[in-house]
Amino acid sequence: MTANDMTSNETAKHAAGPTGTGPTIDQETLLQNETDPLTHTPVHLMELEGVGKHYGNIIALTEVTMAVDMGRVTCVLGDNGAGKSTLIKIIAGLHQHDEGTFKIMGQERKLTSPREALDSGIAAVYQDLAVVGLMPIWRNFFLGSEITTGRGPFRRLDVKAMKEITKNELADMGIDLRDVEQPIGQLSGGERQCVAIARAVHFGAKALILDEPTAALGVKQSGVVLRYILQARDRGLGVIFITHNPHHAFPVGDRFLLLKRGKSIGYYDKKDITLDELTAQMAGGAELAELAHELEALGSHGDLAQELEAEVAETAGQLPH
Amino acid sequence: MTTLLKPPPALDERVGKRGMVSNLLGRPEIGALVGAIVLFIFFSIVAPVFLQANSFATVLYGSSTIGIMAVGVALLMIGGEFDLSAGVAVISSALTASLFSWYFSVNVWVGVGLALVVSLAIGFVNGWILMKTKLPSFIVTLATFLMLTGLNLALTRLIGGSVATPSIATMDGFASAQAVFANDFTIAGVDLKSPVFIWIILVAITSWLLLRTRVGNWIFAVGGDENAARAVGVPVKWTKIGLFMGVGFCGWVLGMHNLFAFDAVQSGEGIGNEFLYIIAAVIGGCLLTGGYGSAIGGAIGAFIFGMANKGIVYAQWNPDWFKFFLGLMLLLATIVNLIVKRRADSK
Amino acid sequence: MKKISWQRLAVVAAIVPMLALSACSSSGGRPTDTGGSNGGKVATTPSIKIALITHAAPGDTFWDIVRKGAQEAATKDNVDLLYTSDPDGGRQAQLVQQAIDQKVAGIAVTLAKPDALKAVLKKAEDAGIPVVSLNSGEDVFKSVGAFTHFGSDENVAGAAVGTRLAEEGVTHPLCVIQEQGNVALEARCAGVKTKVPGTEILYVQGTDMTQVASTVTAKLQSTPGADAIIGLGAPFTATIVKAVGALNLAAKVKVASFDLSGELIQSIIDGKVQFTVDQQPWLQGYDSIDALWQYYRGGFMVGGGLPVLTGPAIIDKTNAPAVLKFAKEGIR
Repeated sequence: MTANDMTSNETAKHAAGPTGTGPTIDQETLLQNETDPLTHTPVHLMELEGVGKHYGNIIALTEVTMAVDMGRVTCVLGDNGAGKSTLIKIIAGLHQHDEGTFKIMGQERKLTSPREALDSGIAAVYQDLAVVGLMPIWRNFFLGSEITTGRGPFRRLDVKAMKEITKNELADMGIDLRDVEQPIGQLSGGERQCVAIARAVHFGAKALILDEPTAALGVKQSGVVLRYILQARDRGLGVIFITHNPHHAFPVGDRFLLLKRGKSIGYYDKKDITLDELTAQMAGGAELAELAHELEALGSHGDLAQELEAEVAETAGQLPH
Repeated sequence: MTTLLKPPPALDERVGKRGMVSNLLGRPEIGALVGAIVLFIFFSIVAPVFLQANSFATVLYGSSTIGIMAVGVALLMIGGEFDLSAGVAVISSALTASLFSWYFSVNVWVGVGLALVVSLAIGFVNGWILMKTKLPSFIVTLATFLMLTGLNLALTRLIGGSVATPSIATMDGFASAQAVFANDFTIAGVDLKSPVFIWIILVAITSWLLLRTRVGNWIFAVGGDENAARAVGVPVKWTKIGLFMGVGFCGWVLGMHNLFAFDAVQSGEGIGNEFLYIIAAVIGGCLLTGGYGSAIGGAIGAFIFGMANKGIVYAQWNPDWFKFFLGLMLLLATIVNLIVKRRADSK
Repeated sequence: MKKISWQRLAVVAAIVPMLALSACSSSGGRPTDTGGSNGGKVATTPSIKIALITHAAPGDTFWDIVRKGAQEAATKDNVDLLYTSDPDGGRQAQLVQQAIDQKVAGIAVTLAKPDALKAVLKKAEDAGIPVVSLNSGEDVFKSVGAFTHFGSDENVAGAAVGTRLAEEGVTHPLCVIQEQGNVALEARCAGVKTKVPGTEILYVQGTDMTQVASTVTAKLQSTPGADAIIGLGAPFTATIVKAVGALNLAAKVKVASFDLSGELIQSIIDGKVQFTVDQQPWLQGYDSIDALWQYYRGGFMVGGGLPVLTGPAIIDKTNAPAVLKFAKEGIR
């Protein structure tokens, strides 16, 4: 997909007009066909249908439907409290879903531990990165999957091999680290993300879940991470990219799932939505309007209120019906 | 299909290369080693008798009885937990062996074997309660400490009739057990005791375990970030339980030495030593928060304690000031440790 | 996989000891005959409660003997003995208060920290409960309201040791204190020092026998002029004897001791220890309970306002064999 494709979509949308006589996006039709229009394979790598989870009497997630394919990026968007963490934890094996079905390669599964998820080829890279800051890079890289030589009580780590593989894998991803012995905590946020992604890729992950990788990063670092996501995608992994920033999600995503307060408020193909629409859905036009009225009532922020109203009008005009 | 992206250019040119000396200085035990050397030189000057081979052997013995436990406790601290019951667990082990053998009139080695089982069981219970309740290990082992102290006193009186165990020196197997756990080796005219050798062997094995095996990697991970370790599939629960059982094993070794060196075991002993083990581990570079440290560091920490303890006697200082000097020595050794570490990190 | 090997280990660990129990020891072990038959009659007075509250730290062999004496008197006098202890003065006072609350017929207390106990013992007096003191507090028992004191003055005991050592030509003894700050222990060494000015004090960590051994060894190595060493408790003397032997100093350094145990008597008979000073703690326990029963029986107040001394009694090679039997029983 090139930039031209995206522009043509946008113009098509504008032609529809604010009263919404244009094409409607029917979430049902996306999943109706057995043959997936994107990849032409009979099954998805991962498929969630009507999945829900509750903790006691708190409903964290309900009626969530999405699919992940190899070589494609599915973005999960939502503000804080939308249920994104719960969703990842279910897919990564830390929690189990209470309703709905979760299929991996067409087979229905319920993952009971992170180990089981890893064995099924699902690797998660968490916000806090699941790396141990004080440990050297190569130890982190092979944590839980160490290479050993020797037998019985003399089974020991193959340090040389692990250091070399770490160096090579990171070089493949584009980082040149001369010293993989340094504690991983000394690397920058973006570099740490890269190590975690490289780890997942190396250990044959088929699906990669990235939990808000750009949340704590600066602009340049975020760009670097997005580039790594595409690298992973190009190597054939199915990527789930979780974020609350639509500007990061849109360039790399093929599918977009929007969550709000535990529910899905939209599930779109890339070709059926634009960046502005995505932003509008996420920003929540209703909330902005309310804020504008409140400020007007207070009277002291006339300029700001006007600005907000203008923005509300603009986004309202963009919303699909 | 999408085209493969070119990898981005190499990262930050500001990250310079660390020299080998800096790397060496950054190791956890170096600070402790510097502190130990400073203390050694200090006492050599202040007390000439300190340099004699026999005196040094005494210092080693005094260090080894803290050191054997410090090895296990250091490993546990790297794994992110404390064990306040370690001091009395040593005596529990000794009491078990002595009372069981005496009461059932069996070969002393049977008691020794049972004591091993009991020590490992105490470690297991500590670890299991910790993982089940998710309470801080400080609390869990504090409770175990109190319970064991009570059990030591009550059961000794109940079974043996007094607060000290009866003598088992005449029983079968005592001589052979003594040869293993409490032997005096005379090497080149110097009197070295069993615990010194056991200590060195334990440190060697534990260092290898920590740095060159999978389990060692898990220990660092579990102490550095338990949740991260769990998320990548490290068996956190069993690693921690294993660490507590390791402390139990060390407690058994030291308990057996206590029993076969002194025959009668006082049921009120052991209290207070648990902090010395933790101090030795911390002096040796183990972080209180876990995830960093070494077994050799714990050994050096124990050695520093031994030198301070015995050095004060060799230097003939006023005994009323003994505790004050000891605390001051330990504080200075830890500060030296900290300075060295900070300089290494800033280079 | 890990779980299976753990299970196997558990099974093995369960079976092996059962097999091993058949490996009985040919010597030593628990004696098959139970010493001390309980055939006699008890007093015909009604059962009363007497409280014995000491400053003992848990696990001290010395107080064990005191308690045994007290228990024998209690059994003979048809008394229900309530024994409690706490080294902390404030907490010991609380224990005394609890005894008053339980309306005991008498209180026997040790006065290591008389100021902490003054107030609560006044309350006992007001409640009409008779009080005796034992072991510590020979100078103050009257001022707190006790009618007599059973004990052996530590200073006097120390002086007795010092005199004996001086007689044997000792000039530079080492006095080993296992608990720094313990008033009684410090008093003993102070007593020795009055008779032998060259006495040197060595503090060791009594809660860790290995540290006791290594510290004593270090001191002996660095003090070539030492010609005697004194232990202030039977188990510590045993460790000292070992250390002296390991350094081959048995001929040069004499070993003396305070208090008794079966092993210690044997060491005296074997010549490893010169003598020991016994303050006969069994008597302290026995006499204090008996005195309170006597008060209950007929208002008797033994002692005549003065303390009743239970020691010091020096045990050396000449009279050790006679005492050995009782030391093994744990009453001396």
